[in-house]
This record gives sequence, C-alpha cells and structure tokens, in this order.
Amino acid sequence: MAKFPRLITLPIAAMLILSACGSSATPSPSSGASAPAGSTGTESTAPSGSAVTGGSITVTSLWGGSEQASFQKVLDAFQAKTGITAKYESVRDNYATALQTRISGGNPPDVAIMPGIGFLRHFAKDGSIVKIADLGIDPASLQANYAPGILDVGTVGGDLYGIMVKFNSKSTVWYRPDKLTAAGVQIPKDWDAFTAAINTLKAKGDKPLGLGAGDSWTLTDWFESIYVRQAGPDAYSKLFSADGDWTDPTVATAVKTMTDVLTDANVDGGIKAALGRKFLDGMAQVFSTNPTADMYYEGGFVGGLAIGANKALKPVDSINWFDFPSINGGNAVTIGGDVIAPLTKNPGVKEFIQYMTTADAGGVWAGTGAIISPVKGVPDSVYPNDLAKREAAQVANATAVRYDGSDLLPAGAPDLGAELQKAIQGQTVDWASFQTQVKTAWGNE
Amino acid sequence: MGFTPAAPAAEPAETGRKARKPKANENEGSNLKAAFFFLLPTAFLLLVFVVYPTIYTIALSFDRGRRGQFTQFVGFDNYVNLFTKDPNFIDFSHFPPSGALFNNVLWLVFYTSIVIFLGLIIAVLASRVRYESIIKAIVFLPMAIAATALAVIWRFVYDPSPQTGLLNAILGVAHVGPISWLGDPGFVNASLIAAGIWGSVGFATVILSAAIKSISTEVIEAARCDGANEIQIFRRIIVPMVSLPISVLAVTLIVNVIKLFDLIFVMTSGGPGTSSRVIAFTMYQESFPSGQFGKGAAVAVVMLVILIPVMVFNIRRFRTESVT
Amino acid sequence: MSTTPDVLAGPAIQARPTTLSGRILQSLNKTPIHIMLGIVAVIWLAPTIGLLVTSFRPQADIQATGWWQTLGTLRFTADNYASVLNSQGMLRSFVNNLIISIPSTLLPVTIASLAAFAFSWIRFPLRDTMFLVIVGLMMVPAQVAFIPVLQLFQAVAPITGNLLTGFVPIWLAHTAFALPFGIFLLRNFFITLPKDLIEAARIDGASTIGIFRTIVVPLSVPAIAAYGIFQFLWVWNDLLMALVFVQNASNNPMTRQISSLLGQYGSEWHLLAASAFLLMVVPLIVFFSLQRFFVQGLLAGSVK
Repeated sequence: MAKFPRLITLPIAAMLILSACGSSATPSPSSGASAPAGSTGTESTAPSGSAVTGGSITVTSLWGGSEQASFQKVLDAFQAKTGITAKYESVRDNYATALQTRISGGNPPDVAIMPGIGFLRHFAKDGSIVKIADLGIDPASLQANYAPGILDVGTVGGDLYGIMVKFNSKSTVWYRPDKLTAAGVQIPKDWDAFTAAINTLKAKGDKPLGLGAGDSWTLTDWFESIYVRQAGPDAYSKLFSADGDWTDPTVATAVKTMTDVLTDANVDGGIKAALGRKFLDGMAQVFSTNPTADMYYEGGFVGGLAIGANKALKPVDSINWFDFPSINGGNAVTIGGDVIAPLTKNPGVKEFIQYMTTADAGGVWAGTGAIISPVKGVPDSVYPNDLAKREAAQVANATAVRYDGSDLLPAGAPDLGAELQKAIQGQTVDWASFQTQVKTAWGNE
Repeated sequence: MGFTPAAPAAEPAETGRKARKPKANENEGSNLKAAFFFLLPTAFLLLVFVVYPTIYTIALSFDRGRRGQFTQFVGFDNYVNLFTKDPNFIDFSHFPPSGALFNNVLWLVFYTSIVIFLGLIIAVLASRVRYESIIKAIVFLPMAIAATALAVIWRFVYDPSPQTGLLNAILGVAHVGPISWLGDPGFVNASLIAAGIWGSVGFATVILSAAIKSISTEVIEAARCDGANEIQIFRRIIVPMVSLPISVLAVTLIVNVIKLFDLIFVMTSGGPGTSSRVIAFTMYQESFPSGQFGKGAAVAVVMLVILIPVMVFNIRRFRTESVT
Repeated sequence: MSTTPDVLAGPAIQARPTTLSGRILQSLNKTPIHIMLGIVAVIWLAPTIGLLVTSFRPQADIQATGWWQTLGTLRFTADNYASVLNSQGMLRSFVNNLIISIPSTLLPVTIASLAAFAFSWIRFPLRDTMFLVIVGLMMVPAQVAFIPVLQLFQAVAPITGNLLTGFVPIWLAHTAFALPFGIFLLRNFFITLPKDLIEAARIDGASTIGIFRTIVVPLSVPAIAAYGIFQFLWVWNDLLMALVFVQNASNNPMTRQISSLLGQYGSEWHLLAASAFLLMVVPLIVFFSLQRFFVQGLLAGSVK
C-alpha cells in the first residue's frame, strides 16, 4: 500500500460516476411504455389515459418485516389483475424525513401510505398530495364501499386526499385466559369490574398489567380509550380538533383515571421500569415463554405479533382479548389505521387507488390476518382466526367509532405521549402550556 | 517545567500572510495556479454542500420554513419561542435548568472529561503489558459498530427487567432493586452518557497511546535519575507532552457532543418525556417530523453559535502549534 | 523485567515513594494492572458478546430471558442469520454498501490530500484564513444540507438528468462533509514533513504536483490510511444520509435494508442482532487488516 496510486482513483471515480448515471435510467425491471417513477418532475409525460397495461409505480409506507410480506400479496394480486407492477419501498425509520426529502428532490413515490391524519394534513396542505378527485376518481362513488365516516377521516378541507386502507381496533385488552380463570376472574365489562379484577389478581400474587410505556404512544392509547368513554365520542372529536381545549377538566379526569390504574402496584416491574420498556417488550411481559403479567392493553395487532414471537401460543386458549371496559356506559371504539394517498398522477396510480378501495384487495389483505379491512364488502370469513373475526365485528357493531386521537393532531403539535409519560410518574402536566402549543400547531397547519 | 518538547522538524511557510515578500518571485504566479487546481474540488464541494446550506439555514431561521422553503418571514420569532416558550429546549424556570440545551452541557462536561481521562489511563496501563494491541483493539471495537446496532447492544444491558437486562441481573444478585436505566428520568442521561463514553474511549485511547509512545525515553530516564517518582513523571512530563493531542481530542469530542444525534435518536428518542433530548435532536424533530423547518433552522444556528468559541480556541491553538 | 524498552516501565533506580498512591503505582508487581485491564476488557467486550449470543437465540428466548442464561440451556439457532441473509435484496444491498462506501472514501481522501498539501506547502494569499474557515465548517451538521441540496439537484435536473436515482448525490454529500476534518487532519501531518526534502525537490525543478506525488504522499501513508479508515467506517454504517440522498430503492445500502426487516411496531431483536453482526463484518476486516497504519496515522497531526 506504499504508493497509493492517487491519480488513478480519479479516473476510477469518474468511471463509477458515469456508470451510475447510466444505471439510473432503468430503476425498475419492468419499465414498460410508461415513464418510470424516476423521471424528472412529478407529472407523467404519457397522457393520462384510461387503460394502462404494464408499467410500474412505487408505493411506500413504513411497514417492514411480516407486514410487508402481507402487503406484498395485495400488490401481487394487483399485478395479476391489471398488469401494473406496484413496487413497494419500505421506509421503516424517519418516514417523515424520507417523504419530505423525496418530495424536495423532485422524486416523490407515486403512492404513500400514511400512518396518521396529522401527517396527511401536513402534506396535503403543502400541496404534495394529489386530490383523489384530480385523479379522475369520484369520491362520491366510493361512499358505498365504506361505513359512514370512514372517508371523512381522509378528508382535508372538504377534499378527499386519503382513503383508509387498513385499521386495527384499539379497544382490545389482551389477556392470558389461564391466568384469569385460575384467579376466578370474570371478563370485566365495565371499569369497576376491571379495577376489581386487577385487585383480585393482585391478591393472588399476580402482576395484573404489562406496560411498554417507553413507547409513549401506548400511553396515548390508554388515555384515548378512557377519554372517549368517560367524556363521550363527541367531546373526543372536539378535543382532537382545532377547537380542542386541553385545559378542560375532562382531560385531567381522564388522566387521573389512567394514573389510578397505571401504578407501581398494578404494573409489572413498576412505572419506572415501564418507562424504559418498549411496546414489544411490554407485550412480552404477558405473552412470552416466561411471562410475568396477566393483561396487556394495546390494539388488535398484538395478537399477530405475540403469536409470531411465541409460537406456543394458541388463539383463544392461551391468548385472547376482551373489549376495553366501558365507563359510565360509554363504550365507543377507537381505531388506528393508515390512509393511502397519491403523490403523483403517473399512469397506474389511479388504477392502484381504485383497486385498494375494492373488497377484492381488502379480502386478500385481511386474509393474511395482518389487518382489518375497512372495505364493507369484505366478509368475516376471510379472517384467519377467531381473534381477528371478533375484532372486525367489534368495530362493525360499535356504537361509535373514533380515529386514534394522537394521530389526528397536527404534525407540529407537542408530544402528547411525552406529557403522559410525565403524568404516570406523578409529575403535574402543564396543560395550559400544552394547549397553547397545540393551538399554535393547529394554526400553523 | 524545564523540559521543552522537541520542536517540529519542519518549518513550512507558516507565516502565511506575512510571507508575501517576493521570496521566489517567479513562483508566485505558478503558486497561485497550483493552489487553484489543488483546491478546486474542495472549494466546489464545500461551497455547494456546506457553505450554501449554512447560509440557507441561517436565512430560513427567520422564516416559517414550510416544506423547507421560504414561505413567510417571521423575524426573530423562532429564536424567541425557542428560548422562552419551549421548555423542552431550555427551561429556566427552576434550578438547575432543564431541557435539551442543558443536557448538552451535561454531555459536554462529563462525556468529554471522562473519555479523555479513561483514554489516558487505559493508554498508560496498556503500554505496560505485552498484550497492548489486543487491549487497544478491544476498546476500539465499538467504533466499528453502527448506531442502530449500538442501541440494540445497550438495550440488553439496560433493560429494566432483571430477567433480560444485564445490569439489572447483576444488581439482582446483590439484591439491589432493578433500575430502569433508560426509563427513569433521573438515570437516563447518565445511562446515555455512559453508552457514549463506551463508544468513544477507544478513539481516545489509540490517539493518546500513540502520543505517549512518542515521548522520548531519555527525558523520562533523566527525570528518574533526578529522583522524580511515578506520579511526578506522570503529572509533569507525560501530561504536558500529551496536552496537544488532548486538546485535539477535546475539540473533536466537543464538536461531537454538539452534533450528537444518532445515539439519542435510536435509544430513547429524547425520552422518557423529553428528559434526554439534545439540541441536534430538537433540530431534527422540529424540521422533519413537525415540518417546522424555520424553528429547526433556528436550533441549527444556535448550535453553530455555540461552536464559535470552540472554533476560536481551535484557531488559537493552531497558531501556537505552528509557531513552536 | 520487560524485554523491549518500555517507556513507562519501572525504573532501574528506585525513587522513594512518599505517598501511598505513589507506592502503589510504583509497584513492580503488575498484577493490579492486569486486573484493571481485565476489567476494562470485560466492560468493553461484554455488551458486544451479549449481542453475538443473542443473534444465535430463537426469538421466543430473547423475549423471555437474558442472553447469559443461554449458556445454561444451550439453545442456539442460525435462523436469525438465515432470515436476514435470505431476505429479498440483501445481497444487492450489500453490494450497494460497497458501491457507496468505496468512492465515498476514495474521493474525500484524494481531494482532502490535495487540499491539505496546498495549505501546507504552497504559498498563496489568504491561505491561513481559508484554512481556518474550512476548520470551522467541521461544526456544520449534515442535516442542514438536506433540503437546500436536494432542491439544487432538482433545479439542475433539466441539464443533468435526475441524478437522485443514482449514486452521485450520496458520493458527493459524503465527500463534502468529510472534507473539513480530513483537511484538518492531513494538513496537520503534512506540515511536519521534512522541509529540506521538499526544498531539495523544488530546487531540482520538480513540479508542485510532482512533489505531491513523489514525496508527500508516500511519506504520509499512515495519516492518509487512518483518515481513510475512519471515513470508511463512518460511511459504511450510515443510515440517515443514505435515506436522504439515495432515492432509488434498488440502490439502498444494507443499513436501510436492515431497517426494512422490522415491523412497524418496533424492534425484532433477533433480526437486529443478526444483522448488526453482518453489518459489522466488513468494517472489522478493514479495521484489523489496516490496523498498523492506523496507529501510526493517528500519531500524526497531534504530536510533533
């Protein structure tokens, strides 16, 4: 290595540069007649005709791993049906950064699936999202595919920008049936029964709850489930809108209810430990091969994840869920879901969006057990196990359904989860300051 | 002190501006041409990728900065909000102050000093044994590990449950209650700083080890002949002679502290609550996830301003070094 | 006691220790040193070994028990590595890592060497000022460059084509941000080279580039190698810059590929552990094979 051939490196670098420029012309294997996603500008050069065969589009979301595998089945079905290849790009970390930088670089993906509505609104107001109507799809025609209110979720300023493609119930409390039976605990229907059940379990020497509060969004789910039941679905909608008032006493009441149940005595390992624990590890407290707690509250996705990690679990026998207990009779259901939004008008995008609104696509995806489909035509029978079937039924039959609140807040809002993390440690939360910051964020949208 | 460090062998034309006297006049023109070509790629890259974005960012800090573009001029609002209305950035309402800025100060003080201290000790100890390079390799190993992998490594150490967390398991043997290293706001910064130190000591050790080895043996022997003991030798010969590499090290570490982002991002995302945030994280958080690029830019400018004294110190040290 | 001249070995002449710590330090018995170094080795190896063991454990075990308990049950599996290696696109992303890292190391090494030479051995006006500005640029965090530079790339796209679908942006970005530190380090070394040698070459009529090529570079291999190693390690392990500047999925490096193995909800530790080691292989090879340059190289620029 004595005499580093320095002057040779420059030509080598030049060669590599030239080869890179050359290879950039064909990013996808099946670049047919239509312009590939990497072309300059966001407008397609081909006329936005109706029947498009061949060609490809890019779809991004933040799913990876097994979720990605499940979604791939939908994309394969799409290709089989239309001949258009939808290439999936997983952006697991820094999703906002990735989208923003792609847009700034003039390279947006064709379709982006967004994990929250604040997210959607942020990009919609930036003008980065194409209105569904501008794609040539009439939003009114989609109404029939969905329960009322579902399409409203993706509507910003009166225009439809995103359509929900999948969701999970967030009103499922997961538990170990053997533990509850052994303690003689009945499935609690309301909050008092729930706290009583916790006490019974404690008396037996069990730790009733697992908690992964290191992922602060788990705390926001607790808060939202309590709030929507305590204060009612209408107050919930108001709170998570621009008119929301976080200094309202209902907020503090809900937080108190939450901190009353999330205590060092009830939570396995105590609160400080919970704050150092992530969602999956909290789940492991209840459902690993070496469990230490009995119940774990989180969304419907827990089932698949728990069984995936611990193959010994049998649905219904060793892992099951019950409805989040009602409070004063209120039992509205909260859901969390992703919405699909077009970022370009390239050929294939319209077809893809349309496909995703069909029961066909919904059925393929729901069949993998990874998600619950909001599309009405998807029959219960496609769900692979009892847990998922019940989840779909829970949402379909709910008295009221509300979207996950923290996902509704604007992108620049202060971190609700962080405030709740302070609350469960016994620190007082400055809701007045939170309110000011949230109001500013809504105004800045 | 009585011992002068050996002067550098070379004495290139350090007196830059003063050397404009026409020494080798026919070389001036060709000098300029040569300098031009040698510096051209550097100038191009730095101007495009570093200087232009810096100016852009400074300008953006006075704007709302939607989408990272200039949308609405807001004057000093971003700065005012940052220092008065954002308790997560800096909270002066109680003593000691809290917030991201304060956390950087913690890092600055503890991380820098402990890394240098441990690096020096390990370098000295290692120099006395035959398996020295193995020790240095072991300590340097963390530098080859990606930030995300480091987060995973430390998760297994810091896990709050004694069943799965190494530290808590060890504590459990001593019947000390499990500690939530990353979940307890009282511990989280210390835990993160410890992880940071773990990753950086190798760098310091290798540098300081090389520095120590360059101290000439005669000087030490002479001191010993004069009756100096080990501690005196350490304090009055070794330390001053490595003061130069120590200050290089310190500067590098300080710059790293201000720019610190990766470790916080993957390990705690600034939590629990916001107790482990640092300013680079705030800058990122305000820019991309929140979309308030103007505010993020203001944080970036604050970072640069903080680093000005460091830069000045760096410059001063240069002059002395070259004059020696 | 030691066979090689040990700079800090115990003296032939024993001074009388006056303090307890002095006595301890002066102890010819090296056992305390071995103990302390042993502790250091344990602290610096244990966490990484923990990860290594974890990478061979089944997912269910990782969730339930600590890695040290595996030594009791001895339940190992290669499944995690298989999952990572067989995942779609892993080989390609490994190649991408090389395609990204090698030019991103060679380019800054070359360019910084040229610039450092200019700052040390060519006289020109404002030299020191410019050098100090460059040193100051070390402080600029890369994130501020994302949006402005991307907008630039978009703006020149009509002339150059869409560069963002290739590797050019990431090469240039990595290079640009590596330059200030590299120039700082290398210039520091270059000024210590023997002046006479260079003067002699000048008198003999060597061109500036000739002096650079035939004298400065060969004598500076340790420093240049050290800088190159640092840069390589940094680029190889990078995620964020790749996320921003590599906008074509088929060009994704391993770091991004690995993160796409994870589900939305967090971290599958078993996959992360295995992939962390796969990611580490090349840096470790690079580090160990070039280690001796490294140690010498870091000597440069900071001491004499």
